[in-house]
Amino acid sequence: MEEIKGAIALVGYGLAAIGPGIGIGIVVGNAIQAMARQPEAAGMARTTMFLGIAFTEALALIGFVLFFIA
Amino acid sequence: MESVILASGECDVSSEIICAPDDVLELFEFKDALFTIGPLHFTRTVVLIFLAMFIVLGLLWFGLRKGDKVPSRFAAAMEALVTFVKEDIAIGIIGPEGVKYAPYLLAVFMFVIVGNLFEVTPLINFPITSRMAIPLFISVVTWVIFVIVGFKKNGIRYVGDLIWPRSVPVALRPLVGLIEVVSTFILRPITLAVRLFANLVAGHLMLTLLLASGWIFMSSVGDIGARAIIGLPWFVFGLGIYVFEIVVAVLQAYIITLLSAVYVQTSVHPEH
Repeated sequence: MEEIKGAIALVGYGLAAIGPGIGIGIVVGNAIQAMARQPEAAGMARTTMFLGIAFTEALALIGFVLFFIA
Repeated sequence: MESVILASGECDVSSEIICAPDDVLELFEFKDALFTIGPLHFTRTVVLIFLAMFIVLGLLWFGLRKGDKVPSRFAAAMEALVTFVKEDIAIGIIGPEGVKYAPYLLAVFMFVIVGNLFEVTPLINFPITSRMAIPLFISVVTWVIFVIVGFKKNGIRYVGDLIWPRSVPVALRPLVGLIEVVSTFILRPITLAVRLFANLVAGHLMLTLLLASGWIFMSSVGDIGARAIIGLPWFVFGLGIYVFEIVVAVLQAYIITLLSAVYVQTSVHPEH
């Protein structure tokens, strides 16, 4: 069997990015839906959307940092 | 500027397709002191930190000084920025008593946005927030503030309600309490710092590698002939990322300020 070369940490980062990718999609999608249904509440929905993105994104960022320290 | 050009010596343009230094830390660490005052060695990062401080002070000083009868366009813009942080972030998130925290939030916002925008400022091209010391310091200060505020507002119940949450069924309380304590006191400051740091590190890496590769390949057209065309997509891609990074720089400054406000808010009104 031939040797596979490369950094396993790269694969780890790829895996860590799957969940947050889906999560951010859900957060932003629902925020857009909320803004479209109630344009007068768009400001609140936008603030909450950024918060949701920030919390979801944290997981991907931890994976990103692990890639560097691994 | 040497750091941008550093790849040119190491890069073998005839066999590689992108120029990357052997150790990417070279792009972030500037060990040589530019000048020295007594025991203090001023490296490029330290100089940029002071530059950011003076830019923030200058913007606020000239933007908000009293005396002009009719505010200039610049003064109006600065006032809009300060009002945004005060009304939308401090009062909007924390509530009426958020006015007390507005100065801290404004300081964080202004310093981080200037530090982030150094990334895309020509001739500087280095975001000081991509050195862990600065995001970590900001998040430790935020941590100290929200812990002190939590104890001041709620006394010992601040920790008590976290360890033993009364709104949860009894059987689940130890588990939820453990998760709450770990996430509040350990994960919050770490993620707050890492979020800013990692975004700026990623941005700086991408910009440097893409633009430097594009430049090195295209400028060595005399040696490698048609192979120099590899540099063109790197350069175009780099310019696209450049625009994207301006958005990221502003957005990350907004997010770290917003999250600092949210963390203080959870200490002021722990029941929510």
